[in-house]
Amino acid sequence: MKTLIIGEIINNNLSSGTLEILGKAKSLDLDVQVVTIGSDENPSIGLDLCKQTYLKRQNNSLNLSKAATKISEIIKNEEISLILGSSTYMCRDLISFLSVDLNSSPVSNVIDFDVASGNVSTVNSINGGESLYKTKINSDQALLLIRPKAFDPVEVNFNDDFESIDLDSSDLEVFDIFIEEKSGPQLEDSKVVISAGRGMVDKENLELIETLASKLNAAIGGTRAIVDAGWMPYSQQVGQTGKTVKPDVYIACGISGATQHQVGMKDSKFVIAINKDEEAPIFQLADLGIVGDTLSVIPKLNDNI
Amino acid sequence: MKIAVCAKQIPDPANEVTYSNGTIERPEEQVLDDTDRYGIEVALQLKEKFDAEVTIISMGPSGTQKGLQQALQMGADKAVFVDDESLKGANSLMTANVLSELAKSLSADIVIFGTESTDGYSGTVPQQVSRYLDLECISYVKAVEINDNVTLTRQTVEGSEKLNMPEKCVISVTAGGVEPRYPNFKDIMAAKSKPIEQVSISDLTINTTQNLEFIDIETVENSKSGEKIIDEGEAYQEIVNKLKELKVI
Repeated sequence: MKTLIIGEIINNNLSSGTLEILGKAKSLDLDVQVVTIGSDENPSIGLDLCKQTYLKRQNNSLNLSKAATKISEIIKNEEISLILGSSTYMCRDLISFLSVDLNSSPVSNVIDFDVASGNVSTVNSINGGESLYKTKINSDQALLLIRPKAFDPVEVNFNDDFESIDLDSSDLEVFDIFIEEKSGPQLEDSKVVISAGRGMVDKENLELIETLASKLNAAIGGTRAIVDAGWMPYSQQVGQTGKTVKPDVYIACGISGATQHQVGMKDSKFVIAINKDEEAPIFQLADLGIVGDTLSVIPKLNDNI
Repeated sequence: MKIAVCAKQIPDPANEVTYSNGTIERPEEQVLDDTDRYGIEVALQLKEKFDAEVTIISMGPSGTQKGLQQALQMGADKAVFVDDESLKGANSLMTANVLSELAKSLSADIVIFGTESTDGYSGTVPQQVSRYLDLECISYVKAVEINDNVTLTRQTVEGSEKLNMPEKCVISVTAGGVEPRYPNFKDIMAAKSKPIEQVSISDLTINTTQNLEFIDIETVENSKSGEKIIDEGEAYQEIVNKLKELKVI
């Protein structure tokens, strides 16, 4: 099946989400090409295993609608049947625009898909991962938005061999571009993640988490509630609207475990939860649950590790 | 300035979501999706500055119209909705098709949404509506500054960026982006006399089809039978032991 993957660039490289989708496409032996949208000057995104096209946009203009129009053209010219993108801000915008152009409703929150006798079927995560919803797509083109960490990334060698197309700017000028500083281990790749929730009571108490994280070489995450409250930048949010993590050890500190949060961490290998409320849903996911005050448990951990 | 703002009526999120043949079961009484309160708040702030008219647009089983009332209580001027048996289980594109037709019928300049509904969670409708209306979409707005012009801050994967709101566009507002207002008794009473109009689907141009066929729903067994220890001062030791066993320390 002729397949187009919408690629995304993070730190001058193809994003892990793009590589995960590429991994799945290869395992299904799909006839795949990648169209990557970004604003980097010279990214190393040429692929040894399939065609790569780079749609270069200016970062001082919001012109994703123009990128979508270009992708629509490629889809029509090359008779693409399956369009895949990661559930990121950019791909959600692009796949939504394409769905109107192609008159085919997209499928969101896909965690698995298959292609059999020309038909695409999907498995989607709903209700915060509590249920799996299975669909079959009956339109000529199928558009899927795939959740991060659903598949193993492909092993690939990068080169500088790709076609590059400059996109026009739009009338929407972008200014005050702010890039969050990231230091320490990154959430998506870290073997240990420590996350904080409302049970930390006050932003200042996050110092306790930082101390523990540096002792365990862990990345720090947080719930939507504390990100909304401004305790942490959005880039550290774990959950449905944030990052999906799958570390060896996940330590949930003062997190009740709303489904919104569970989606982002439930596939962690070993979960340790500390929470005052014995009935907190996080304990249903925990391999080791401590019913107690996080603010008294963490200082003791810090003193004894 | 005419503003259309989307409000979805959803089953009370305090109750478990149930499905019938792949479609969410909707009781007579549904409530306003909290996600939409952020979009409504932005619309009302624009109304206060620019004397705009704010119309709630909605699609789905209308029932007791409680959710629509809640949207009007916040301060919107009126509501229009489409409720038709043929839209039961509508996919995101069909939903966007209907909502964009409603926005068009109102000659809306600005169309505002939350980023994704709490029940369906597809997160694509605002962008789809913008494409139908041939307007730019400023998605994931997390802050709004209203002066003589309006500056919107968008969430991006790496951080954020700002734009000036054009005269016509579609906006989606993230949860936590603004502080939604709570209606007082006077607002609640005033909402009762605001117009709510049902629009017939036959008055709209709908050319989408139901391309997604429901096959099955499976419940995932998430729960682990892990150890649970009540902390009496020494529980930290259990964590230390476990971290050693897992070779983290």
